[in-house]
Amino acid sequence: MTACCPGLTFGAMPKRTPTVRVNGRDKPKQDRLEHVLDELVQPTPGVQDLRSEAIVVEGLGKTYPDGTEAVRGVTIRVAAGECYGLLGPNGAGKSTTVGMLGTLIRPTSGRANVAGFDVVAQPQEVRRRIGFAMQEVGVDAFATARELLVLQGRLHGLRRAESGRRAELLLAMVDLTETADKRLSEFSGGMQRRVDLAASLIHLPPVVFLDEPTEGLDPRARAAIWDALDRLRQHLGVTVLLTTHYMEEADRLCDRLGIIDRGSVVVEGTPAALKASIGSDSLQDVYLRYTGHAFGPNEGALIAMEQAA
Amino acid sequence: MSAPASLLLAWRSIVQFPRNPILLGFSLAPVLMMYLVFGGLFEGVTRLPGFPTDNYFEYLAPTAILLTTVPGIGNAAVALAADFQSRYVYKLLTAPISIGSIVLGRLIGDGLRLCVQAVSVLVLAIALGAHVETGIPGAALMIVLGTLLGIVTFGVLTANLALRTKDAATVQALLPLAYLLIFLTSAYQQPEQIESPVIRAIIDANPAEHVLRPMRELMLSGYDWASLGLGFAVIVALGLIGIPLTIRNYRAVYR
Repeated sequence: MTACCPGLTFGAMPKRTPTVRVNGRDKPKQDRLEHVLDELVQPTPGVQDLRSEAIVVEGLGKTYPDGTEAVRGVTIRVAAGECYGLLGPNGAGKSTTVGMLGTLIRPTSGRANVAGFDVVAQPQEVRRRIGFAMQEVGVDAFATARELLVLQGRLHGLRRAESGRRAELLLAMVDLTETADKRLSEFSGGMQRRVDLAASLIHLPPVVFLDEPTEGLDPRARAAIWDALDRLRQHLGVTVLLTTHYMEEADRLCDRLGIIDRGSVVVEGTPAALKASIGSDSLQDVYLRYTGHAFGPNEGALIAMEQAA
Repeated sequence: MSAPASLLLAWRSIVQFPRNPILLGFSLAPVLMMYLVFGGLFEGVTRLPGFPTDNYFEYLAPTAILLTTVPGIGNAAVALAADFQSRYVYKLLTAPISIGSIVLGRLIGDGLRLCVQAVSVLVLAIALGAHVETGIPGAALMIVLGTLLGIVTFGVLTANLALRTKDAATVQALLPLAYLLIFLTSAYQQPEQIESPVIRAIIDANPAEHVLRPMRELMLSGYDWASLGLGFAVIVALGLIGIPLTIRNYRAVYR
């Protein structure tokens, strides 16, 4: 290519290996996540040690004082290191179930053990062992991303230096090193969600709850979160319970799925087994078959029209 | 060993105050203006027989401290409600801490801010010719009394309202009540100079009056230990009423 304007040249730029600054050192970007995660877990070996069942839920229910029955007798078991998905439309009871497992909502029936502790009788023990990224991201608008992570770490009992070290590594992991010292009010929704995810991991919990982790994100941001989750599981061996209403997300991330409808888990199994059970390659069909309806009345009507066509 | 959660959260508030200059400015400027205006308007009161000082700004200084601390602590509840509205409080609650430490952290953080603001009120008073009879220890005691009164009255009341409603606008609607608490005291003139027996009875029944009196004595005459003891007793008693109320309202968070 030739230059067309004085002072400007176009064409092939010299190739540079993308780098990222982690703990004051430049690292090649492609090795960034591996490096960050390796460094993150080094001083805390055994963080992923858990008994064989990380989450045991039996007949869990929640009825609100106004009589609304949000969750009805949910029973699930999630093995250590497994990624389990609760798949269902809005209002199915997913967030209430995760809220109860995360000790933020008090169950009215049944029992649940997380990381070996009862969510009602031992909520503080449960909280020490879980990370929780909620559907509606709660951030402190006056804080910076780094401050938010450091505070969350310190509230989990980490020393200032260790909390700061992990904050830097986790911010690198979610690709927010450059904006670490900007106020969260200046962040986009997707960036806030990544900060929230990083804050959920600051104490390296063995169990992570992710309530609609990619809700409202564009496909690129969604793929970035999925990638981060994959790597987290590989490196930390964490148990993940996520809720979603995205079929693709459930298929892509989860070892097993529980399809939840009107507050109850109606069927569970691996995505492949669920699809095979009805001879389809679509989780949408699985949902339709086992619940008798599609995701919400409008979506049901749309599917019926498509099938008729 | 890590710091208690309430201190970590108090530090969070303190670090963030300078990032909100509007809060700092508008929580102090009206008090200083009222102090200057009322100090000028009621200057003649000092000529009444038996008035304890010939400098009305001196008489009014403890009132200005209460006008800083009592309505000012309402910001803690407004911030708490804002944390509910932004849902950040739920993020905090995923850590092994209690909602009590979140409330206490806010109250401590705002309490320290109000102490600093009360110092600036006293500095203005001294610039206007006022003199603190008990010196720096008495001035510090005055500020502690004023801040504690703010926390156990308006602070606890609005924090509970924030827990219950989770709405900053509702909490803000309660702010005029703080001024009523102060105006129904001997804030501007001595009780014996108030003619209405009903108003005098109300002033005597107002717990804020029993904290304001020892504050004024520290400013004008010296240490009256009986009066100071009564002031602290009132604060403790109000705290004992407020704590069970707060515990009850915790249920509004864990639904």
